Amino acid sequence: MEPLPSPASMDVEAPAPAEPTLPAKPLFAPLKAQEMSDGRVQFRKVSVPPHRYSPLKKSWMDIYTPVYEHMKIDIRMNLKARKVELKTRRDTPDVSNLQKCADFVQAFMLGFDVPDAVALLRLDELYVESFEIKDVKTLRGEHLSRAIGRLSGKGGKTKFAIENATKTRIVIADSKIHILGSFANIKIARDSLCSLILGSPAGKVYSKLRAVSARLAERF
Amino acid sequence: MVNPEEAGLQVLRRLKSTDPPTWLAPNPSLAQDARAASLHLFSSLQPFAPKSPFDRLLVDGFDAEQIWQQIDLQSQPLLSGLRRELRRFEKNPAEISDLFGGGEASEGKGKGRGGGVDDLGGEGMEVDGFDEFDEDGDSDGEEDGEGGAEERGVEGGESGESEEGEEERNDGGIEDKFLKIKELEEYLQKDEAREYGLEDGSKKNKEKKTVASDSDEEEEEDEEEEEGDDDDDDDDDDDDDELGEFDVDDEDDGGMGKLGSARYEDFFGGKKEKVAPRKYRSSDGLESSTDDEGEENGADGNKGNHNLSTHEKELLDLKAKIEQMEKSNLEPKTWTMQGEVTAAKRPKNSALEVDLDFEHNVRPAPVITEEVTASLEELIRNRILEGHFDDVEKPPSLPTKAPREIKELDENKSKRGLAEIYEEEYAQRTNLASAPLSFSDELKKEASLLFKKVCLKLDALSHFHFAPKPIIEDMSIQANVPALAMEEIAPLAVSDAAMLAPEEVFAGKGDIKDETELTQADRKRRRAKKKRINKAEATKRMAKKGRETALNRGEGKEE
Repeated sequence: MEPLPSPASMDVEAPAPAEPTLPAKPLFAPLKAQEMSDGRVQFRKVSVPPHRYSPLKKSWMDIYTPVYEHMKIDIRMNLKARKVELKTRRDTPDVSNLQKCADFVQAFMLGFDVPDAVALLRLDELYVESFEIKDVKTLRGEHLSRAIGRLSGKGGKTKFAIENATKTRIVIADSKIHILGSFANIKIARDSLCSLILGSPAGKVYSKLRAVSARLAERF
Repeated sequence: MVNPEEAGLQVLRRLKSTDPPTWLAPNPSLAQDARAASLHLFSSLQPFAPKSPFDRLLVDGFDAEQIWQQIDLQSQPLLSGLRRELRRFEKNPAEISDLFGGGEASEGKGKGRGGGVDDLGGEGMEVDGFDEFDEDGDSDGEEDGEGGAEERGVEGGESGESEEGEEERNDGGIEDKFLKIKELEEYLQKDEAREYGLEDGSKKNKEKKTVASDSDEEEEEDEEEEEGDDDDDDDDDDDDDELGEFDVDDEDDGGMGKLGSARYEDFFGGKKEKVAPRKYRSSDGLESSTDDEGEENGADGNKGNHNLSTHEKELLDLKAKIEQMEKSNLEPKTWTMQGEVTAAKRPKNSALEVDLDFEHNVRPAPVITEEVTASLEELIRNRILEGHFDDVEKPPSLPTKAPREIKELDENKSKRGLAEIYEEEYAQRTNLASAPLSFSDELKKEASLLFKKVCLKLDALSHFHFAPKPIIEDMSIQANVPALAMEEIAPLAVSDAAMLAPEEVFAGKGDIKDETELTQADRKRRRAKKKRINKAEATKRMAKKGRETALNRGEGKEE
């Protein structure tokens, strides 16, 4: 551990007789990530599910570049453990970078595309929310399949409609649903998806979405 | 008479002999001849035409139209009469033989006429050929003349017949199944008897008989006249008189004889018999005294009938009528004369027999003629050509507000990544100039700018008393925008430090609950709070007002 940089040497002048002078205000440079955690390196490990293995291999460079160059975080793939490991460097500017990178990689593992997941790196307020269909309504067998079909729509058009209207990204993995976006948008998307799961027809959801998107657009 | 006739015939022959082509050009001599011929023919027909106003045809100085009108006036009744005679002969062909039989043994006058007729008849037939050359106006008269000649031929024969054969034919063409002369006379006698008394009637009959025997022919003729408007002989002007006394048939001696040989005793005896039935007739609930009175009156009246003058008789008549009318007035009126009548008050089906007058508030259905149809079709055709239909059109709804841009839902996979979308959104938010992307048109922008200027000027008219300051885009608005945007150009990462302090974003205290999260008690509490606040405000306002009025009043008092 490096010793803390000594504060700027203070010239302690002999106090003038009869006048007590206050000491000068100390100036501290902002802490670096390393210093904040007492010079220790921080790690994050993200496990890779088997179905994301080959996409990871394909788009490794797209993941590596922004993490290493822009975020200044070390990233490597542990093939044996099937994990992606992230580590802070000495010149990592901010502690939150590590967390952001971890979230980014996690998002990729959930199924989001790299250009979408990169938004996580760039914007603070984006979150990923996951829930299951059975959280909304207990469906079994064919009903479940039909619900999933309803969610996606023909050729995925319902899903895309929701995505475009609410500026989110949705991943439907069997009975798990992940939504990436800002808080309010996630809420809207989640409402739409829940109504679809509960059985409302796509047209109804569309009309609601239209109203919502219009309202969203009017804000500016 | 013969010379003019001869002259006329000569003229006619001359006209007949001229060549047809000469008629094409106007020829004064031919015109003169034609006029003379028309004159001759007219005068020959004159004896047979009963009601013609002209004794002779006026041809000097009259044009063709006027001559034609004169001839027309004469010939129309002639033609109709002849037609009637023809029809009669069609029905009874036997009469034709009578006609000719009578015609042969006719008197001199008839024969002469007939002879003349035969002669002229031949001419008439030949003159027929001129029918076609009708181009000259002068030949019009001639055309009619020959028609007249034809008529005359028939008429001459008939006149002879009627003069002789009236003894044989008792019922001329007048009688048919509806009209019998005998019945007519009987009725007339009865009526006369009723009106004047049998005695007088018998006297009058005697008188009439003598008169009738003189003017048998004429009456016979008059019969025909009444029925068929024949005009062989000259009309007697006392047609109407004879009508009144027309109840005589000189053949029907039987009926007349009975009346004619009636004596006073017979009359009185008959009269007594008559009075009795009359008594029965007049008895309809009246008192016997009145009956006796009436009887006496009647008797007296009958007795003195021949002593009273016509005027007195009329007065009696009138009195009787008045009595009758007064009696009927006292009786209840018929249902048609009463006011409102229900079905119960009138006899059954009586409304069907009476001609009731309603006010029909309906326009009568139009009679569809060909013209109407044609006009309708014309109208339809024109409308179709113009394209002017009477379709019901919706009134154009005024646009209450500008139509909003409907953002269509894109159902395709978004081509841009999420990061790019948020980047763009952020750029919009920070860069105010690019904010009005909702404006679809440059023109709209310009228009809105112009309108804002106009509004500003208008507001200036009212000294800006009410108008808020116009919002111009280039004014800096403190928006809740990331603070770093003010300093950096294109930050890669955005800090969540905003320009507005959190208190400025939202100032509230206590437990903030959403509308949906409130319980019933919470709602009640909120409502009560609202009411309390409003009440406080109201009281404050009232107090203020009271103070003001008091002040004003105080000031007023001081003054």
